[in-house]
Amino acid sequence: MASLVGSRVERKEDKKLLTGRGKYTADVTFAHQTYAYFIRSPHARAEIKKVDFSKAIKAPGVVSVLTGKDIVDDKIGGLIAGWRIKSEDGSDMKVPPHPPLASETVNYVGDHVAVVIAESLDEARNAADLVKVDYKVLKAVVDTSDAMKSDQIYKDIPKNLCFDWLLGDRAKVKEAFDKADKVIKIDLINNRLVPNAMEPRAANADYNPSTEEITLYTTSQNPHLARIIISAFNGVAPENKLRVIAPDVGGGFGSKIYPYAEEVVCSWAAKKNRKTSKMGCG
Amino acid sequence: MGQFMIKVGLEVNGKKIQKEVPEHTLLSTFLREHLNLTGTHVGCDTSQCGACVVHVDGKSIKSCTALAADLNGSKVKTIEGLVKNGKMHPMQEAFKKLHGLQCGFCTPGMVMSAIDLLEHNSNPSDKEIRDWLEGNICRCTGYQNIVAAVKEAATKM
Ligand code: FES
Ligand code: FES
Repeated sequence: MASLVGSRVERKEDKKLLTGRGKYTADVTFAHQTYAYFIRSPHARAEIKKVDFSKAIKAPGVVSVLTGKDIVDDKIGGLIAGWRIKSEDGSDMKVPPHPPLASETVNYVGDHVAVVIAESLDEARNAADLVKVDYKVLKAVVDTSDAMKSDQIYKDIPKNLCFDWLLGDRAKVKEAFDKADKVIKIDLINNRLVPNAMEPRAANADYNPSTEEITLYTTSQNPHLARIIISAFNGVAPENKLRVIAPDVGGGFGSKIYPYAEEVVCSWAAKKNRKTSKMGCG
Repeated sequence: MGQFMIKVGLEVNGKKIQKEVPEHTLLSTFLREHLNLTGTHVGCDTSQCGACVVHVDGKSIKSCTALAADLNGSKVKTIEGLVKNGKMHPMQEAFKKLHGLQCGFCTPGMVMSAIDLLEHNSNPSDKEIRDWLEGNICRCTGYQNIVAAVKEAATKM
């Protein structure tokens, strides 16, 4: 064999990807597939007064409509912040609740409120139009520089302060500045980064009632992490009853390291409905 | 909310197909969901990314923005229809050889677009290739090797 150094190494996966024989999450379809369509907040911040799905549940093809109340009733845990930071005073960072389906408040446009599961994506989407969510719109906080002076968003988080972080040596830095000839103050603006892969997020969960096992296909850079979080933190199923498969993944750039609400909801709904549930767009 | 069904007759990759589908069925949905040809990808569903490009009567189009019923009687070619007698199309070979793909999600659309280009311009310049592929977005490769692959394919087609 020629030396690997300096010689061409052809990729093993290219032929299938080039001939349309790859298998990405959205390409996986089970027998008796059902489709999930999410109802999302149109408001940056609001209180949820009421979710009325009495019409939607009777619409053609609808299997179930699940809301934040079901999440609470089933004790499904919230999404976690996978990083722990301590403030300068030694206190832990404050992490607000982020349920997979909101029941009390929504805190950004697109926050997940309910899910309609139906036999086809069209039927799920049509029924979603019939779900009426009654919101009391609240004043949103949209700018980090004003956030500490704005309305408090979460009960237990005064001044909207998650953490106040310090790296380095405050005293030594002060000393250096005190001795400096000239001190210039600038505001640094860090652009928002959007790791936007070409393959959108996707999930498809299958539940086998006889073995009580969930198999979740998801477009993930880290299926092991998804398995731990969805079992240990969200409590959807014990780890030995949850299998997570990442088939071909259409890019991630970091955005697919972490599991999102939709993966949790699809896995939970599949188990609850004793069926499969595939995430639709929306 | 009853669904109106409509008959769609197409020739897909050389095979005549007749299906009754909801009238609003997009070509991309028709191919992926009704024919199980999942090589055609949907990246945006809004005509921006080009992952869904297929050929209709020899021209490349974005299949997420065409109604299947509108194309009745047309000949459609998808990425699955390029392999002949087990051999990849020169464009596929060139992408493989020159590393014109990483995750492969944009690739089917990219390959279908690029073949259309070479079919009416057999020796395009770098600029012509880049201009032509403007509607195909790739987030992995940085495009250099895609352009190189199209140039290589031009010598073989
Ligand atoms: S899916 Fe058709 S252009 Fe993006
Ligand atoms: S190869 Fe990943 S988007 Fe083009």
